[in-house]
Amino acid sequence: MISNHPFFYRLLGYEAQRKRAWARAPKGALKDFLSIEFPDPNTPLSDIDILSVDFETTGLHAINDKLLSVGFIGIKQQQISLKDSYHQIIKTKDELSADNVIIHQITDQQKEQGAPLKEVVEVLLNALAGKVMLVHFARIERQFLQQACLELYGVAPVFPMIDTLMIAKRQLDKKDVAYDPSDLRLSALRYQHGLPNHFAHNALNDAIATAELLMVQVSNMPNSTLKLNDLLL
Amino acid sequence: MDSELAEISAFIQAIPPFDTLPATVTLQLVKEINICYVRAKQPLPPKGIEEARLYILRKGALVYTDHNGQLVGKYTEGEICSVFCRPAQRNEVNVNTEEDTLLYSLNYQKLLSLVTDYPQIDAFFMQTAAERLKGKMSKVNEEAIINSSLINNPISQFYHKPVLTINSEQSIQQAAIEMTAKDVSCLVVINPEKDTASVPVGIVTDKDIRRRCVAEGLPFTRPVSEIMTIDMATLPEQSSAYDALMLMTSKRIHHLPITGFSQSGEYGELVAMVTITDLMNNEGHNAVNITSIIRKAGTINDLIRISKLLPKLQIRMAKLGTSADHVGKSISAITMAFTIRIIEMSEKINGKAPVPYAWLACGSQGRQEQLAHSDQDNALIISDDLRPEHEAWFENLASFVCDGLAACGFVLCPGDIMATNPKWRQPQKKWHKYFEQWVNTPRPQALLNGCVFFDLTTVHGDESLLNDVRVKLLKKTSGNSLFLAHMSRNALMLRPPLGFFRDFVLISDGDHKSSLDIKHNGIAPIVDLARIYALAEGIASVNTIERLQKAAGTPSISRESAANLIDAYEFLGILRLEHQANLLQVNKEANNYLSPKKLSKLEREHLKDAFKVIKALQDSRQSTS
Repeated sequence: MISNHPFFYRLLGYEAQRKRAWARAPKGALKDFLSIEFPDPNTPLSDIDILSVDFETTGLHAINDKLLSVGFIGIKQQQISLKDSYHQIIKTKDELSADNVIIHQITDQQKEQGAPLKEVVEVLLNALAGKVMLVHFARIERQFLQQACLELYGVAPVFPMIDTLMIAKRQLDKKDVAYDPSDLRLSALRYQHGLPNHFAHNALNDAIATAELLMVQVSNMPNSTLKLNDLLL
Repeated sequence: MDSELAEISAFIQAIPPFDTLPATVTLQLVKEINICYVRAKQPLPPKGIEEARLYILRKGALVYTDHNGQLVGKYTEGEICSVFCRPAQRNEVNVNTEEDTLLYSLNYQKLLSLVTDYPQIDAFFMQTAAERLKGKMSKVNEEAIINSSLINNPISQFYHKPVLTINSEQSIQQAAIEMTAKDVSCLVVINPEKDTASVPVGIVTDKDIRRRCVAEGLPFTRPVSEIMTIDMATLPEQSSAYDALMLMTSKRIHHLPITGFSQSGEYGELVAMVTITDLMNNEGHNAVNITSIIRKAGTINDLIRISKLLPKLQIRMAKLGTSADHVGKSISAITMAFTIRIIEMSEKINGKAPVPYAWLACGSQGRQEQLAHSDQDNALIISDDLRPEHEAWFENLASFVCDGLAACGFVLCPGDIMATNPKWRQPQKKWHKYFEQWVNTPRPQALLNGCVFFDLTTVHGDESLLNDVRVKLLKKTSGNSLFLAHMSRNALMLRPPLGFFRDFVLISDGDHKSSLDIKHNGIAPIVDLARIYALAEGIASVNTIERLQKAAGTPSISRESAANLIDAYEFLGILRLEHQANLLQVNKEANNYLSPKKLSKLEREHLKDAFKVIKALQDSRQSTS
């Protein structure tokens, strides 16, 4: 029975949570986002619209640290369309620490010219409506986005997500051989799959890099039977 | 803020023809890109995409095959697949991924709408390989015209007129007075009895007065016709300046009357005169200059010294963007001058030839396509009056000249195709027989060795000896399908390496690891095709471009194909020249092995185009024979 499948339960949970959050959300971007149904888990993956998202942050803790920039790109019919790309630096109040600047290369000056958090989150929610979110290492994006929504709207919704790191991890775990956690980094996985080097730690570049990685991972799976719930977190 | 797509922009911007676009336009294009991933051994376009799209390879490789499954080309990172830009092209070729491939694709109509101000982009993708090559070659020719004067200019730019003439009845003294008054060293002698008064009958120079009158004690009251040189060489005024140089070099003359059509349509009316100085003033220190100092050389050692200039000349011409045809003709003219000068030295030692003969050049020198210090390929054709006691004279001549040329850096022919080999030092009747054998009972191996002899030219001596042989030969070859089939089979053994830029047919041994032999894989196939067309159509020319020009529009090859082949030939020639110039400049030995890594992306594109043109014509040759 399909309804006995663990992923089915999980997605039931997603849909139920979506409806609950929708009811509680104030009028505006978040409510609009939540008003659109999440994709049916039995949809073939090739028919799913995906939004690959990456955040650059000042650190790893959603409560203490801040969102610095957001980049995303759409995948439709297994093609990445650069037209649907977005990148925005966010104007946060905190001073940036020097060793952090080295990683994401966003300076205080650039940050000052950035957009307010609310504006950026609204663009993202609008783009995400009806789509599945793709990330590499879901914890960061999920927690920071939920935290942002909590601050802006008082509600922390759920997001159906595909995580390229988890896909790789499951495959490695299945093989039952020891591996180094650094093998699961985006650039390491791209290298293993023969993808070109990319300029990392820019939110849009990483979003594109993740989208490409997903296409390769999917192409290595038996395509005809692949459904959304085979990949959902 | 769009700099986030800078990485992809930079990638696109490096690829011709997008490298000609401003960054802002490139960025607009980048935003239209779709990225897709196709696993190995899958067909393109990716499933579900019907619209016209251009594909750019970000990673991986594509293989093109024709209907018969024959490999047509391979494309890899940074290259463009334009097969799916126009629906008509789609059916000509099958495209498959060879490896897992990451592609950037652009909707072709959208692309065009963004680059309307840059017509070169559309042109680049819409042209066939042949058309692109033609565009490239016309650009190269423009450069050559700017940089050089002789080959691309008609003789009319160099000659002077009116020509000073004198009636054949006037006295030697009157000629001398006229020459002194006008301060010239030469007068053309015309015959007043003829209606067409300006048809030249001879030429008289300072030298003639000195040698044939004063030194001989001939009274200067005698008519000038007694000391004039008759049978003088003339050149039609449509010729190029280089034709004039070649003729003056081979005849060792300094004055050349130029003739045109008279008003009555009769050929041969005197229109102008060109001197070696006219040509020299224009070209400075170059081919003309070198041939003139060769003529003055007294000893072999002088010649050796002069021969050291040849690589420098070749470098200079290559750097100037001179066409390969031009360089080939210049170097061949110089080799000719060396050969003639050494023959003269030999005749000085051994006396005059006992019977008429001609010194012949074959192979690249015969075709006037020689490059500095290539092998010598030569032969001797001797009048049938040859008697056994004469043979020693010719043997001496052959060894003196071949040794002399070797001392000047022209390597002895490894295949022993030289006049020192008795087999290639034969009377005319024997040459008739050789060709008869090659044509009537063709054997592949014999033909392979013999094909250099289909490119013979007279360097020195009695031209009629070789001309007779050639006339007879061409009568036998034209339309001789058995012979032509054998020639074709040999010619088709050298194929352009179409998979060039990936795992292509590279030379994988010795010093030239992973390099392309541009001579054997590119230039030689064209030379072979041109030779077959010429033999099939009874064309006497031996120069490859001339052969193709004359064969154009005959049953052997269409006008268009001939023009394409000439473009391909010129392009490959220039690539080879530049490659050799780079080697010569660092004192390395010139060779024909091109490393694909050293080529620019654009050069690779054109090289691929050239290979396609060659392959198409080889294929059609294969199917006709």
